[in-house]
Amino acid sequence: MKRIFIYTVIGVGILLSISSCNKFLDVQPIDRLTGNNFYKSSDDVEASIGDFSRKLYEKITETQFMGATGEYRSGEVLSDPLVRGNPTRTPQNIFYIDKLGKNKIIDVLNNPDNLWGHYNFGSITDWRRFYEVIQGSSILIEKLDAGVPGVTETMKSQYIGEATFIRCFAYFIMVRLYGDVPYYTDAFHIEPLPRESMVSVMNKCIADLESRKNGMVWAFSEPAFRGVRATRSSAIALLMNMNMWNAGFDLANSSKYNQATVLLGKELVANESQHNNRLLPIEQWSTVVGGRSDESLFEFYQSVNYGVSTNIYAPISQMFLHYPYKSPFYDWERSSAYYKASYMETIYPQDVADSRKNIWLVEPYADNGLFNFAKLSGVNVNAGGIGSANPDNSYIFFRYADALLMYAEALANEGNDIDALKMLNRVRLRAHAPAFEGAGAELKDFIFLERSRELIGEGVHYFDLIRTRRILSVTWTSNPLTADQFARGGWTWPISNNAIRNNPYITLTDYWVNGGI
Amino acid sequence: MINVIKMNGMKKNIHLIFTFMICFACFNVQAQSKLRVKGVVYDKDARDPLPGVSISTLEPKKTIAVTNLNGEFAIDVAPNTVVLFTYIGFVSQRVTIKANQTTATVYLETDKRALQEIVIRGYQKRTREETTGASTTVLAKDIQDIPVSNVEQLLQGKVAGLNIQNNTGAPGFRGSIQIRGLSNLSISGSGSESYLQSNSPLYIIDGVPIDADKAAEYGFQTQGPGVSPTSLIAPEDIQSIEVLKDAQATSLYGSRGAFGVIIITTKRGNSAVPRVRYTTNAFINSPPKLRETVGGNAERSAKIQQILNNSLSEGDFIRLSNTDFLADSLNAYWNNSVDWQSVFYQTTFNQTHNLAIDGGNQTFNYKTNLGYYSEKGVIKNTGFDRYSLNMNMEYKPDNKFRFFGALFGALGQQSKGDGVGILQSGVAANGQASSLLPPPSFYQATSSVLSALSTTNSNNSRNLRANVEGRYEFIPGLALTSSLSYDFTSDTEDTFTPAAANNQFAKVYAFTGRNYTLYNRNNLSYAKNLGSHEFFFSAFNEIYKKGRQSSIIRQEKTANDQLQGPVGFDSYFSRGGGVLDNYGDERIASFAGAFSYNFKKKYVLDLSYRLDGSSLSGAEDPYSKNPAIGLRWNFYKEDWFVDTRWLSGGSFRASWGRNINPNGSLQSLYGLYTVNGNYNNNPAVGIVYDEIPNPTLKPTTTDQFNFGFDLGLLENRIELNFDTYFKLVENMLEGRGLSDMTGFNSVLSNDNSIANYGYELSITAHPFKPGKDFNLSFSVNGAINRDVLTSLPIDRYGQVIRFDGNRDFSQHIVNRVGRNTLSNYLRINQGTYANDADVPVDPYSGLKYRTDGIYFQGGDPIFKDVNGDYILDDADYEVAGNSQPLFVGGLSTNVTYKNWGLNVYSSFTAKRTILNNALSDRLAIMRDPFALTSVVPLQNLDIWTQTGDVSKYPNPYDYGRYNQIRPFRKDQTLWAEDGSYFKINNITLSYNFDKKLISRLGLYNLRVYFSTNNVATFSSYSGPNPENVNGLGRDNSNGYPVPRTFNMGLNLELNSGK
Repeated sequence: MKRIFIYTVIGVGILLSISSCNKFLDVQPIDRLTGNNFYKSSDDVEASIGDFSRKLYEKITETQFMGATGEYRSGEVLSDPLVRGNPTRTPQNIFYIDKLGKNKIIDVLNNPDNLWGHYNFGSITDWRRFYEVIQGSSILIEKLDAGVPGVTETMKSQYIGEATFIRCFAYFIMVRLYGDVPYYTDAFHIEPLPRESMVSVMNKCIADLESRKNGMVWAFSEPAFRGVRATRSSAIALLMNMNMWNAGFDLANSSKYNQATVLLGKELVANESQHNNRLLPIEQWSTVVGGRSDESLFEFYQSVNYGVSTNIYAPISQMFLHYPYKSPFYDWERSSAYYKASYMETIYPQDVADSRKNIWLVEPYADNGLFNFAKLSGVNVNAGGIGSANPDNSYIFFRYADALLMYAEALANEGNDIDALKMLNRVRLRAHAPAFEGAGAELKDFIFLERSRELIGEGVHYFDLIRTRRILSVTWTSNPLTADQFARGGWTWPISNNAIRNNPYITLTDYWVNGGI
Repeated sequence: MINVIKMNGMKKNIHLIFTFMICFACFNVQAQSKLRVKGVVYDKDARDPLPGVSISTLEPKKTIAVTNLNGEFAIDVAPNTVVLFTYIGFVSQRVTIKANQTTATVYLETDKRALQEIVIRGYQKRTREETTGASTTVLAKDIQDIPVSNVEQLLQGKVAGLNIQNNTGAPGFRGSIQIRGLSNLSISGSGSESYLQSNSPLYIIDGVPIDADKAAEYGFQTQGPGVSPTSLIAPEDIQSIEVLKDAQATSLYGSRGAFGVIIITTKRGNSAVPRVRYTTNAFINSPPKLRETVGGNAERSAKIQQILNNSLSEGDFIRLSNTDFLADSLNAYWNNSVDWQSVFYQTTFNQTHNLAIDGGNQTFNYKTNLGYYSEKGVIKNTGFDRYSLNMNMEYKPDNKFRFFGALFGALGQQSKGDGVGILQSGVAANGQASSLLPPPSFYQATSSVLSALSTTNSNNSRNLRANVEGRYEFIPGLALTSSLSYDFTSDTEDTFTPAAANNQFAKVYAFTGRNYTLYNRNNLSYAKNLGSHEFFFSAFNEIYKKGRQSSIIRQEKTANDQLQGPVGFDSYFSRGGGVLDNYGDERIASFAGAFSYNFKKKYVLDLSYRLDGSSLSGAEDPYSKNPAIGLRWNFYKEDWFVDTRWLSGGSFRASWGRNINPNGSLQSLYGLYTVNGNYNNNPAVGIVYDEIPNPTLKPTTTDQFNFGFDLGLLENRIELNFDTYFKLVENMLEGRGLSDMTGFNSVLSNDNSIANYGYELSITAHPFKPGKDFNLSFSVNGAINRDVLTSLPIDRYGQVIRFDGNRDFSQHIVNRVGRNTLSNYLRINQGTYANDADVPVDPYSGLKYRTDGIYFQGGDPIFKDVNGDYILDDADYEVAGNSQPLFVGGLSTNVTYKNWGLNVYSSFTAKRTILNNALSDRLAIMRDPFALTSVVPLQNLDIWTQTGDVSKYPNPYDYGRYNQIRPFRKDQTLWAEDGSYFKINNITLSYNFDKKLISRLGLYNLRVYFSTNNVATFSSYSGPNPENVNGLGRDNSNGYPVPRTFNMGLNLELNSGK
């Protein structure tokens, strides 16, 4: 009896000590955050989501991303040969614009005599940062699925929606840059993968985001999050863009993508009371480029008020603004670059009334550096009026006008000209331009031109040329590609050799491997 | 029965223990009522009474009495009866009781036979014949008489399979220690400072686990004092050291036992009267033979001659005229002949004192040991002092309860000069200075001389350790033992470099560090003896709480040499500091169970299982599992050997065990997150995209099979132990590069593994029958260990070349599956071109074999053109040599004749490749005759001097082409030499004074001895010392030479009551 008692006491003692042991072993390191003590609250999740945007913001500000990828390659922009006054801004070291306008990307990257090294264009060829965001968001989704203390179901579906949005956004940007890219969504992915057809990548992203979209909020009550954190409207904008991209490449199914876009557009417009996203009066344009506006659907917000200093060569405004937006006059008498007068005549005919001409542009038909792009002047111009700093604009990727025009484009493609005209004319009316009346092919071309007008300088034009295949025609661009060049990937950016390292499956893009001709 | 108790006059409760035991035995004997004999049993060596000795008759085999606490007994036996006195750990003795005998004094001798030795397994005492694992015990007498700063040095060559290389002579530093070969392939640093990560065995000092490596985490660039806890133990205080080698023996120690376990037991009080023992050593350390240099005018002439003979252009003659120290021989400033090495090296006189006081009896005993050790380094401005105090006491009022308490305190005080202890780069650089320079004085010498000699460097390592242990036996056989210890170390380093030694501005550096371990063990054991069957169960848990933190501060340019502080912050002068990245907070919780069974002590089975939980493995699955099984067959106890008189012991052992060592960190398992500034005015926190967390990271697993054979012949006059093992270390960490489409740089994988296999043999022989006056014993042991790399990550295609980034060295290491783990990757030197015509010519281009745009010619080394392109470039490397020794062992001889004793210990290491970088440095001194460096005599080397010479070493004088040809580049097999050596470690001659003679002086024991340490090394190696090389076999001229020690010592014991 005595023994049994003793054994029992000892046995119970051991059991108790084992069960309390896991707690004893759970040490929270005070000198570092590890996966073991991070993701412990909703604040951690939001800090993590913030980090994804910060990473992409850093990626696009490493170089003059918007201009190099979305504007100059269409050939409508030329550098001004008469700029002066600053050793970093001579006619020689802004000549890369003309190179890009001729699709001579290899020359730009080779950077003869280190003329434009400070623009750091090589970084565009390096996709690693996008994959960092993809891994990070996949890890976050995994953690959220496993459960994070203090995160309710509503919050969880919103957070997962945001993580999915940023993951798809990264894939979308990559597809527009490189075409086919490796695709995965599992957390902690380490296996090397080959490049996957971009149509398939976009389809997977569409499915991924569609499944998460409805869990997202339409709008944040906190004004500081407006346009900055992804909402259901942002997801719709991205989905429309991805669908319309595939509509241009997966021609056999283009109707399916157009229909999907129409549905998304309908959903966005039908819920205007919910999300309050709208077109602001054209006179309030500076509010839009300043960021956090009702018109913005997704942007990378930046503000000097938050002590963020950005690479001075990153914003496109660096190239298109001169005195009085930049000073002193001697240095900034002229802009570095300008849109050709012939192109401005095409999109902004002199005889058609359009407030955008007056509010966004100064001397639009100058055909030289006197062209001044007030659209980009935004807020906090050169920190109070003196100096060469860039205006304190946010990097807007999707805004309401873009979504409406994409909706209109899909409607027109599907033959619904009446609704297409409605959407198109909402954008035109906001600019105090006469409503368009027309149908069929004429309407489709006009919607394209309207996008060129409305989104000029926002890094969209070149991608519109590609996905609508207008890049193949001299009617629409000064830098057309042949069908063969197009098929070999002449519209993409080269991929850095780093991508081959430790990955036997990657093949670089034919067009660029063969010298870019 | 009652009589016995009264006679003892002891307290009643104590008697009860013995009453119970004696009761039965006496009953029958008294009936025959023959003869009453009283007496005392003593320990023959210690002369202390032995309590608890059982006394039995042979016919019938029956225990009749047990000695009491004072060793006294009283028995009633028939005349001419043979009685047997037996006591665990002592040789049983037969005594014939004569007809009229009434008293008997019996001296029991310590059983030196291996099988009866007491060993410790999983904190439990066992006799060796009941254990199944492989271990070796070293007793106090084998490690006495030699003053050393770290007792590990004295284990060299004494244990088969324990590879100790005393590869530094820096006072207070450790050499390298390895049990059964390599356990990792992690290398840090480059060149001669490449550091093979140390995997020291786990030390258990008096039941408290100690991490011997904790001071060495930065490799050769150790920050702080770098004093290992093993350097703080006074060797005089050690009773025994047991080295556990196979996994059966170590698995109960869990993860930390993966590299073997060394159990150190310090002395206990064991004397009825207080015993005062004093040991002192006075010893001389002398530096080894230093490099020969040419001094004064001979140096100048040699340099001028070299320039005149080898100049490539007239410009060199003009330069010679403009080089004042060569041209202006009358200038008093340059007209010197300074022996620079003597400026740094010295012969030192040192001493140690050790005072031990102990006493007590079976109920209560105590011990105090006070030690002082002082050693001044053979390099000036270095040294090590140790002050230690170790006290323990044990209280055991009865067999049910036991309490043990110990307190250990030590202060290690060290001066490293301006080096890091093991490396003395300042000394090495200045040892090469030109003898023409004026001798050092405070205003005219190079600043590095002053730095080496006048830097004030003081390191203190203070170690405090307290442990208490209680044992309570609930019912016979079932006992609970609980042990609690706290170990605290505080380390400080203060370095002050005076202005003259640091470009005219004084410099302050301070390091503070502390670390602690709180340890608790609770052990429940149950022993049951059912006649022939003996069972033993043990279950215990261990809890550790460990923490450490250290920080530094560095300040350049303090006001002057008098002001060492306080110094304020200044963005220009402050070099920052703060908490170092070795901050740690770790917890370990372990549970272990062991089961042992034996049948008549003939067949023994050991099973054990241990769970180790570590906070470093994360909370999800923190436990690693360490199972083991062992079998032993004591075949000499079988019936068919009963009559075999020559066989006194014999057994076979077989064991398997696994140690699992979690080597990940929370960071490698879960990823590291960091604050990346703000986004949208909120903090942005993201994962660090460097190493992708690997939640499936597996712990390193060590599987070990051991097969052993023990034999004792001719009453154990010849003892033989043989072990063979196979040790597989799997899942070692290896970083693997990732594709950039993963967003991360690398992943830690588990794909490296090494297998070690080998044989260990040790033989001890007493060629003559142990006699009264003359005794001779001789023992030899040796171990062969081979390591093979068995796997690497799949994307490495079976080979990893670890390129040495340091271009001056380029001594690369290659890991190739199927080969020995650490091979060198070098250029193959095939001799020297005797003349220009010997240089091969490319038949296609007609160009001679060339490198760096220069053609080879006579006197240049022949480097193998591996790829056959007639150009020596980065492709021309081959795998060559093995930096790990194949064969290590030792020999010892002990002779006693009357009062004289002679001990000789030696050790050997064979079959390893060492790279003689020191010789390379020595020859390369000649590369620039215009430099203010010394000239070394090269006549004794086989060098090329003129066309047609067939020589081993290339022409050292051709300075003009030196930088292209680089004939003495370190990445060549010219420096790869066989590092085999045989070393006489130490010789001790001792004399014990006659006890009667000295008792008049009030002494009980007086012994004097003369000993030398590091006596002689025999080797074909061309460098100074084949042992003074690092773990990768590189002889570093920055290293600290191992001094030779001559010692005179004295042991003295006061006659306090005997």
